[in-house]
Formats: sequence, C-alpha cells, structure tokens
Amino acid sequence: MNFALARMRNRLRRLRLKNRDLPPLVRQNLLALEQVHPEQPARSHRFVVLDLETTGLDPNRDRVVSVGALRMVEGRVRLGEVFDELVNPGRDIPVESIKVHAIVPDMIAHARPAGEVFEDFMEYVGTDVLVAHFAPFDLHFLNKIMKVRYGFSLQNLVLDTVEICRSTLLTPDPHGVYMDFKKCGLDALAERFGLEVPERHTALGDALATALILQRMFLHLEQTNRGTMGDLIKLGAVAL
Amino acid sequence: MSDFPLPRIRDFVRTVVPFNTLSDEELTRVVSRMEIAFYPRGERIYHAGGPPATDLAIIKSGSVKVTLPDDLGGEILVDLRGEGDCFGAVSLLQGSQALFDVTAREDIIAFLLPAAIFKDLYSSHTAFHRHFSFSLARNLQAVRRTPDQGLTLLAGGGSLGLEAVLKRSQVSELMTTSVLACLPQTPIRAAARNMTNQRVGSIVVVEQTGVPVGVVTDTDLRVRVLAAGVDPGAPVAEVMSRPIRTIDNKAFAFEAMLEMIRHRVHHLVVVEGERMVGVLSDHDVRVVTGAAPVGVMRDLDKINSAEGLELIHQNLDPVLEMLLRLGGSAQYMLDLATEFNDRLLLKILELTELEMEHQGRGRAPVPYSWLALGSAGRCEQALRTAQHNGLVFMNVPAERASAVKDWFLDLAGRAVERLHTCGFPLSEHGLQANSPACCQSEAQWQNAFSEMIREAGQCALPAAGSLFDLRGVHEEMAFAESLRLYVSQAIEDNRHFLARLARVGPHNRPPLGFLREFVVEKSGEYRDQLDLKVSGLTPLINAVRVLALEQGLTVTSTLGRLAELAKRGILQERFAADLADAYSFIVLLRVARYLEARGAGHEPNAHLDPASLNPAQRKMLKDSFTVTSELQAFLEQRYRTQNAA
Repeated sequence: MNFALARMRNRLRRLRLKNRDLPPLVRQNLLALEQVHPEQPARSHRFVVLDLETTGLDPNRDRVVSVGALRMVEGRVRLGEVFDELVNPGRDIPVESIKVHAIVPDMIAHARPAGEVFEDFMEYVGTDVLVAHFAPFDLHFLNKIMKVRYGFSLQNLVLDTVEICRSTLLTPDPHGVYMDFKKCGLDALAERFGLEVPERHTALGDALATALILQRMFLHLEQTNRGTMGDLIKLGAVAL
Repeated sequence: MSDFPLPRIRDFVRTVVPFNTLSDEELTRVVSRMEIAFYPRGERIYHAGGPPATDLAIIKSGSVKVTLPDDLGGEILVDLRGEGDCFGAVSLLQGSQALFDVTAREDIIAFLLPAAIFKDLYSSHTAFHRHFSFSLARNLQAVRRTPDQGLTLLAGGGSLGLEAVLKRSQVSELMTTSVLACLPQTPIRAAARNMTNQRVGSIVVVEQTGVPVGVVTDTDLRVRVLAAGVDPGAPVAEVMSRPIRTIDNKAFAFEAMLEMIRHRVHHLVVVEGERMVGVLSDHDVRVVTGAAPVGVMRDLDKINSAEGLELIHQNLDPVLEMLLRLGGSAQYMLDLATEFNDRLLLKILELTELEMEHQGRGRAPVPYSWLALGSAGRCEQALRTAQHNGLVFMNVPAERASAVKDWFLDLAGRAVERLHTCGFPLSEHGLQANSPACCQSEAQWQNAFSEMIREAGQCALPAAGSLFDLRGVHEEMAFAESLRLYVSQAIEDNRHFLARLARVGPHNRPPLGFLREFVVEKSGEYRDQLDLKVSGLTPLINAVRVLALEQGLTVTSTLGRLAELAKRGILQERFAADLADAYSFIVLLRVARYLEARGAGHEPNAHLDPASLNPAQRKMLKDSFTVTSELQAFLEQRYRTQNAA
C-alpha cells in the first residue's frame, strides 16, 4: 500500500468532515495517521495488537463475541494496558465456534452489545497502530460498526502479521503452490519462534501470541536493515 | 477488571521467588505493571559500567549469563540465570551503573517490573528485602574486590555462579605467603628480635626441610621465657607451642573456617604436602565469608551464666543463612551446627554441674557420658528440632544405684530444661536424658539394647531407630564407643533384627505418585503440602542406618555412612553419591525454608508446598525422592534374599 496516498486520502476526508459535528473520540481517530512516521524506527511507535473471537468465519453473517488487545510500546508488551471484554453478539452462538473459543451463551448474557464495547475500544486504541493476525478479517468487523456509527472506516494504520511474516520469513511463492498460508498460522509461528502461548484461543491470548510474534519481527527486520516504519508498512499494511 | 486477564502469566510469576510470598491481590497489582520484553540470543542486555537497569527482569524462557570483563579482553562468568530467575536487581538497588555484563545465551522472553515498583516491594516486603539484599551484598563484595585481587578469586573458582565461586575459594588464594619463620635451633633472642623488627606477634618454627613444627607467639615469650626464667639464648624449639594446626593449601575457605572454629584458633599454617607455604588468619577467611562465624563460637565460650545461653542460639541462624546464601554444602552446615550445638551442650552441662555443687548436691558421683541420639547423634541437627538424648554412667554397686541415678536424673532434668529454653523442643517419644529409661548405667543400657535387638518385633522401632545413632558428647569415659561396640556385637549375633528394621522403611515411602508427581497431603492444616522430614529425609536416613548397622560402622552421620558404605562396596559409588546429593538437597531445602519462616516470623515446620519451588528445585526434589525409593528397593531385595538364604 502506498502510505503517501493513504495519508492524502485521510487529509481529504478530514477536509470533507471539517464541519460535521463529531465526538472528540472520532475527531482524534481522524488524526491517527499523523502519528505514523515512515522514516523512523518501527519500534518507536505505539501499537495495539488485537484479536477478535467471532461466531464464525463468515464476515457478512457472523458477529464478534470477544475482544482482546494489548498495547506495545518500545517493543514491550504492557501487561497492565490490556483490553479484554466479552461482547453480546445479539444472536445465538453456533456450536462450531464454541468449540474454538469456548465462550458459551451464559458467559455473554450480561455482556454489552458490540456498539458500546466498540466505543471503549476506540478510546483504548486512540491513534496507535493496529496489528492483528489475518488483520483484514478483524478489521472488517471493526469497520462494519465504525461505518454504521460514523459513516467511515477507522483511520488507524493497520498491519497484518500474516503478511509481514509471509513476505519476510518465507521464500517467495507467487503461485501459492507451497501452501504458505498454513505456515503463517499462529500455531505454526508460535512453534517456529519457540513461544509458549498461554490462553491460546481466547481473544487476549491470541493477541498476546501475535504481539510476541511482532516482537520477533521487529528484531528480524532490524537485523536485515528494514527496521523503519516505512519498511513495515510496505511489508504488511492493510489497505485503508 | 478485578481479576487479571492472563491468569497463566500470573501463575508463572507466583512460582518465582520471592514473588511467591505476595498475596493474590498484590501479585495481580504487580503483574499488571509488568511488560513483556524479548531479547535475542547474543544480545548484551546490560553493560558493566553502562547505565543501570531500569527494570527487574524475570526470565520466562531462555537463559542469560552474568559476566565481568577481565583484563585480557575476555570475560569471567559470574552466574547463569534461567527460567524463573531474575536479573537487574543489583544495579536497580545500587543505582549508579550496571555492575555486570548480562548477555542472552538463548532467546529470552522476560517479564519486566519497573524500578519504582520493585523498590517499593523491596522496602515494604521482608521476603524481597532478604532475597535481594543477599545477592546484592555478595555481588557488591565481589565487585569491590575486582580491581586488585578479586579477579583471581573469581576466575579460580570455576563457573557456577558468584556465590559458588566464593564458596570455592581455596586457602591458597586467601593466605598470606610472607610469613616470618625460623629454624628450631634459632636462639629465642634472635627470634624475638626478628618479630619486633617485622612487627608481628608470632613466628613459625620450620625445620630445614620446610616442615612447620611449632609457633612462638608474644604470649609464649612472656609466659614461657620471661616468667619461667628461660635463657634467651636457648633454641626456640624449647618454648614453642605445638602441635600446630595446619591446613592444606587446596582446602576450601569454609574448611579452614571450620578448623578454626573446632580448634578455637585464629591462625592456621598452610601446608602443601608437609611444607609450609603460608599462613591463614580468621581475618583472611572473613573477607570471603562476610559474617564471622568464628566470632559466634567465641561468644558462646565466653558465656558464664545460664541466662546468656538462651539468646545465643539465635546467633546461629544468621550464620546458617550466610552459608546457605553462599551456596554452602549441607555438610558444612551440619558440621557447623553440630559443633555449635555440642559446645552449647557442654556449656550447659558445665554450668549445671556447678550449680548443683553450689546447691549442695555435690559433684558427679561417677564418670558419665551425655549421649546425643537421633539427629543430634547423627551430627545432623542443623535446626532446633526436638531433643533426643540420653545419659550413661559408670556401673555402681546395687546399694549406691538409686542415689547415683537420682543425682544424674537431677542433672539431666536441669540440662534438658535448659536446652528447652535454648529453643530445642522436648522429644515426643520421651527419648530424653531426664526420663529414667534414658538415664542409666552402662550395664542397664547394654541390657536395653540387647532386649531391643532380641525382641525387635515388640518394641516401637521407628523411635528406637534414633537410639542407634548414639554419639557421646560430654565423654568422661568412652561409654558411647563401648556401647556402640556392644550393639554391633549384638546385631552380629542376631541378623534377624536388621531385616525387621529394614522392613520399617517401606511403610514410609517418598511421596512420589505413579507419574512421578508429588503426592501431597490431602487434608488438614498442611493440605497440598509435603512433609520434608517425614517423607523426604526419614526414609533415606532409616535405610542408610540399617546398612550402617549391618556393617557395624562407627560413623553416625548419614553422609559419613554413605561414604563408608561406598568405600566398602556395599553401595555403588555412583549410587551413594546420588543418595548423598539427594540427602544434601533436602537438608538445604529444609534449612532454607526454616530460615525463611523464622525470618518472616512464622513458626517453622517441615512442610512445603511443591508449587512454591522453582522448576529446577522441583526436578531436583523429585530426583531425590526417586533415588531414595531405589535405596529402599535395594534394601528390600537385600534382606529378602538374606532371609531366604
């Protein structure tokens, strides 16, 4: 993705929305890209690594049941700045998905609906760079709510650890014959890096695994002279 | 969010010493202030002399090495730290700069606790204070020594951590090599002049061949020459003190310390083979040990009233603690404690006899020996555990018997009570010198043993076991030795007894389950805990005792018995060494827990929650139990086959 282009689009949007009455939180979100400095080390940015658990894999029909996220500053995961909340999906939870995330209907009976949780989450994220494993999937659910509420997508820079890993760790495979996809799963990567991931398959546990993988990627990229934010954007930014 | 959202991380931190002492609430608060950091293999995390640490790092996975740069551009390994260990504490607390290089040996995932929180814990929690201040003191001491002589000290000791290095410092590294010496035929006058010129208080008398034979001190010159009117022209050999206490130059500093304590001297002549190579003073040793165990012993010797004794025993705790922190071996610790306890007992007996004399009860009517039984008899009473003791006195004609026994029961009663006030609880089995069954004449003791051996089936063997670990402490005659000989003979005549004694063991198995998981207590006050004494030490001690009795060994300590059994080929050398390790480890663990509990103001007990151990300790403890089980199996096999034959 061309970062310059994205930033230009963001500025145009800000111009268009200049006179609209928006909550301060949303105003702030519009400035997210201003915090990104492609020429500076990626490590010096603030990141929020997130993972969602959903009722299924169909982006159109399924809903979010849990949000987990951790903040990473200076390459370190802050255990005290954690976002961890169950979401009431407003529909039944299919048995198939319960097998994955082990969230049963009883647990979400008193959970808040997605819209309310989203507001808190947006405040938590602020202008930080968002990171997720298979980010387009998670981003889709976030933007669906964002668009309903405010009419446009989240303006944060979003990075996909799958893309970053695929383009740095694996041999080039333009035709997909090696099934690289599987090698970039969370489990495969955790094993590759010797990470012992607690609480796997909870939103927060998976977010933690993703954060630890991102830590490794920072190092790997720094060692191969690709340590700037610009490099990271080239390797794994999701189109805005 | 009241509960910490990543419980497994909190559970991990809970296993880390001293974080294991925090309450759930505090732990959650502390963990939520942590950050996860990653350091790749080979990364230099801290530079010696560089900026100090900003966080305390707890290693979640991987390991680091702590090193010091040496003069030649190389490095000296100070410590290796692995999963569950911390690093950065010293420079956090000390503040100005990092004192060691810390390098990742493998990829490291570490939980970082910000300095402010750590310092807060350090100042508000005794457990943190104790845990980190010791390593602080140790490390700082090493650093202070570095510029001049510290390097050889550190480099000379191998690689397993600073504390171990200190423990391993050899006499040759600490001694003074410039020693004033003279030949035996040197005139006293010349020797004295030489001492004055060199401004030293003593001169070592060495033969032409380099073998030291005696020493002349200022006191000797005063007492044996001037006061005695000896001609100053006479050879020093006539007035020197001897024999002299020597120590091998390859002996360890701790051994030297022990020798000094034992013989109440402040100097040892260091020899290589037979030749003198230097002198070691208690001051030289103290440079390494920091505290002054020699001083504790000296204090004890100075006490002249019963009141002073009650407090003195507490002075042993810091010394044991120091040994523990220095990575001292169980053997040293037990030796030291035994030496201390024996001295304490001698002092008590001395004072009690005096007291009885003053009160008109007269002196001891016949010679007697105080018998240490059980752990004290095995020289293994490192902690203030229940006293097991007895008293044996010379056979007397029947008409005097009751009067004599009365006198000794009186003595024993007072002594036992004094030991009690010094912190040794009374025995549960009544194995105490003030009970009539344990205060007997030599002949009565012999009868008691004969009976026990003959009718092993009927008597309470578990308690009786400790009777067989008897050792004379206050010996006016060699009663203990002759009793032991008598017992060996009786056992020789009745091998059946050993088989019975061996069978006591298997009821008391080490607490390992089918899958080598710890079997903990299922209910009661110590739920989910292990009893280190009953389930860890006792089976091992009992099994070793059976073999020792079979062989008629005179040594009573478990480690001593193991060594002797290996020497005689009863146990394979390797197996015996494993057992000795197992025994030592459990003893150390128990002493550590005991001191921790006392430090925290709790009543110490032998119980331990396996979850409070770090993974390495857990593994070691399991291995210890396993090897004990193997010994029990060996014993069963040995006596089954013997019975069959």
